[in-house]
Amino acid sequence: MTCKPHDYERCLELFGKLSEYIDREMDEAERRDLEAHVAECLACLSCLQSLKQTIALCKQIGRQPVPVVFSQKLQSMVQDLQRSR
Amino acid sequence: MTAETPPNRKTVSDDDTELVQAINAGHTERFQELVRRYEQKLYNFGRRMCRNESDAEDLVQDTFLNVYRFLKDFRYETKFKNWLYRVAANTSLKRQRRSKFAPEPELSLEEFARNEEAELIETVPDWARMPLDQILNEELLETLNQAIWSLPEKYRIVVILRDVEEFSTEETAQILNLSPANVKVRLHRARLFLRDRLKGYFSHDL
Repeated sequence: MTCKPHDYERCLELFGKLSEYIDREMDEAERRDLEAHVAECLACLSCLQSLKQTIALCKQIGRQPVPVVFSQKLQSMVQDLQRSR
Repeated sequence: MTAETPPNRKTVSDDDTELVQAINAGHTERFQELVRRYEQKLYNFGRRMCRNESDAEDLVQDTFLNVYRFLKDFRYETKFKNWLYRVAANTSLKRQRRSKFAPEPELSLEEFARNEEAELIETVPDWARMPLDQILNEELLETLNQAIWSLPEKYRIVVILRDVEEFSTEETAQILNLSPANVKVRLHRARLFLRDRLKGYFSHDL
């Protein structure tokens, strides 16, 4: 499956706006316009999907527990601060 | 100078307000509670910002020291958490500026677009359409962490605040003292950079 022949200038223009689209920070007219383009353009769809997946992966980075030794170090630091007041 | 709120100024009350007010009223022994409440969040923020673990720990320590020094200046005009991240972000940017002499590279949208045009992939790659649980593993997360650390810091901090810590564009703009438009520009370029690294990882993997 390939794209229908079309003006790639439009792709380049929309390329800079994909994050705004994903973050729902576009106005309605622009949004509809981008969706209509992506429905016809596999190159832009590919770009949009891989960007969405990148963001989804960033949200999965997860949280590491604080090392116990470091947590104790922070507590001693706070105690020192209070003593020095 | 005290941080009393002038009349008509909008204040924000959240889960931290009572604790922060108590500390500012002289119950400094409760600062320990504040540290316990936020140490994990700040530690993880530090680990994303700094490649080196001891740098991350120094960042967290310096942030809490600055919070202790400046808490009396907190004016309850934003959520406390947002103010805390503002202190953390400033502490981080100051530390990194001290350790670097060369100006940081800019990420150019045109360059990303040129690469995209050259590749012109007309199919959605498998990795981009598979459910996350089918592609997530330690190696991939390590690749993503490495990619985040490779970002110039002004882009790194934006993508961490927006996509890892999940602050809104407005909140990120406030935390970093940037315009929302500037946050959006940096965020998009940072995401494109990370996406390119992930594309590279998956193309080697196939």
